[in-house]
Amino acid sequence: MRYAPGTEALPATGNNTAEPASGGNGQALAVRDVSKRYGPVIALRGVSLDLRRGEVLALVGDNGAGKSTLVSIISGLTRPDTGEVLIEGEPFAGHGPKAAREAGVETVFQNLALVQTLSIAENVYLGRELYRGGAVGRTLRFLDKRRMRREVEAAFDRLGLDLPPITAKAGALSGGQRQIVAIARAVLWQRKVVVMDEPVAALGVRQTEAVLSLVERLSEHGVATLLVSHNMEHVLRVAHRVVVMRLGRKVADLSLRNGKVSGMQLVGLITGGITEADL
Amino acid sequence: MAGPSHGMRARPRANLGINTVNYQALRRLGAAQGGGLFVALIALGAYFTFANASFLTRSNLLVILLQVSVVGTVAVPGAMLLVAGKLDLSVGSVAGLAAACFGEFNKITGLPLGLSIAGALLVGGLWGLMNGVLVGYFRFSPVIVTLGGYAGASGVAQTITADATRTGFGPAFAVLGNGEVFGIPVPVVIFVTIFAVGVYCWYETPIGRHLIGIGANPEAAEAVGVATRRLPCVIYVLSGLAAAAGGLIVTSQLDGASVQIGVGLELQVLTAILLGGVAFNGGRGSLWGTLAGILFIGVLDDGLILINIGPYVANLAVGAALVIAAGLDVLYQRIERLPMGTIEAVPSRTEGAGESEQSETVGVQRREHRRSDALRSRH
Ligand SMILES: Nc1ncnc2c1ncn2[C@@H]1O[C@H](COP(=O)(O)OP(=O)(O)OP(=O)(O)O)[C@@H](O)[C@H]1O
Ligand SMILES: [Mg+2]
Repeated sequence: MRYAPGTEALPATGNNTAEPASGGNGQALAVRDVSKRYGPVIALRGVSLDLRRGEVLALVGDNGAGKSTLVSIISGLTRPDTGEVLIEGEPFAGHGPKAAREAGVETVFQNLALVQTLSIAENVYLGRELYRGGAVGRTLRFLDKRRMRREVEAAFDRLGLDLPPITAKAGALSGGQRQIVAIARAVLWQRKVVVMDEPVAALGVRQTEAVLSLVERLSEHGVATLLVSHNMEHVLRVAHRVVVMRLGRKVADLSLRNGKVSGMQLVGLITGGITEADL
Repeated sequence: MAGPSHGMRARPRANLGINTVNYQALRRLGAAQGGGLFVALIALGAYFTFANASFLTRSNLLVILLQVSVVGTVAVPGAMLLVAGKLDLSVGSVAGLAAACFGEFNKITGLPLGLSIAGALLVGGLWGLMNGVLVGYFRFSPVIVTLGGYAGASGVAQTITADATRTGFGPAFAVLGNGEVFGIPVPVVIFVTIFAVGVYCWYETPIGRHLIGIGANPEAAEAVGVATRRLPCVIYVLSGLAAAAGGLIVTSQLDGASVQIGVGLELQVLTAILLGGVAFNGGRGSLWGTLAGILFIGVLDDGLILINIGPYVANLAVGAALVIAAGLDVLYQRIERLPMGTIEAVPSRTEGAGESEQSETVGVQRREHRRSDALRSRH
């Protein structure tokens, strides 16, 4: 079975190893020298970054710094002009969103990729439905609707997400609830890398908390997370490392482990008030 | 991002979801939009049964099915296209083109019957493929491309036939339009079979939800790996094939291959689909609703003739039903949009130390609420 939801991989109690896995070559994602132009606008100029298993990497930068463009390239939606993306050492670039998914990248987009007229469960499994009964069922593409509903329900329970019935249409959810579903989908289908573009921008305090704790739990289970955020408090809380982007360039790549970097300093880096050398 | 703030203080639980008015009943009423037409259909049938005893007879019901079989056959891929936000206005002309090609193949080129039929289907399929490549892969406007096909296909048909009608295809071909299998007309058998396959594809395979996804949110569908180009292209091919099959059925019934075959078919198909509740812009709709739309028109046409009211009134009634369906669609969308509960208002930081305690429990809390709501909604 190519697609199986990783619900079993998220037990209710995590063992608190907030350290990213470092044994062997722990590299989950590598972006190598990626550039992208949109006509006169240079959205990305030779950006490289690394992400290890279990690591939470925050990507920060002002509006238009190129964060979403980078996310879109990593998730296979946009083809970079130059450079490449590697998942566990395997290069992949520009082969479309399906290829990225199969390589192990799951993305929560800034503008929420849910279909409003489909139910929550249908949305979670959209594009990778489960089929019934062995080879025949798969050949006939016979949907196993009951199992999909059951698995979604069980997984939401396990994640402690309190949502409307999963047979409700996504269009009937509030913006925040939709965001939760989109994130939960990424978590259920956890692969090697989960990319979230401003996942909590529209959320209230409690939902934000739920999302941040999901991020922490992902990390405990060895998933590498790339988190785009404008909120320095969140960054300092959940991220192990931060990459600062400015006008399409990576201007800083700092560990947050030692607690020496402050929110003020990050803001300074984002606005260009200070440089990495000033720290 | 704050929902209505009422209830927030009264209910300070840290849930993410439903805790307000339950709109399920209303929503179910709305979901009856496709089903609503079935109710109207039964009411209509009951009325005609009272008005004329010969309405509810096996032979009359078969007449109704026979009358709708060509429109119904073409409406199956038609509904799939419309729900994906596409449209095929070329089906009528393609039906005529296929009929004309069949006549030329069989009578002028001298091909045997089987090859002539295969050739006509191939022409329909190829026209569908052209539509599908232009609309699916190159993202041309479906209305413009298939409107071009509407004019173009009949232009081609007129050119190759020089407007002549070929006749006399023999008894074997007559079976297609006039024959029976176990007392059921062959066109009805074809329609029912294609509809059954359509139901399977729509409801039991990913095709239905993928088409809805393409219609409702193409970017989202693309992002999760739905074949947003290939799938519509395939359905266009099926639409062309169905149109050609329809053209052949009518040719068989008339024993005459004329370019006039299929005139107006595209609008009859579109009417049935829209009446059945598929949204004109895609993203919403069902194949069962489409069946209701097809049968509604068939019953109306048949019943009004039975009670001696002419076909003009039938046209008027279908028009009125369509406008009413449009109104119901607006209502339906309103109901769908009713909130499923609220995300609670964002509490300010000064609102008390209790907040942080609650947020700590976020990972493991209150699933009974959701459970019970889930149960309630399903039973
Ligand atoms: N599809 C596109 N076509 C043209 N220009 C684009 C496109 N996508 C992004 N850009 C440009 O690339 C630059 C980077 O945009 P991007 O969306 O990556 O910024 P961002 O860092 O995500 O900003 P925000 O914080 O506002 O989300 C911007 O100048 C934007 O105008
Ligand atoms: Mg962005």
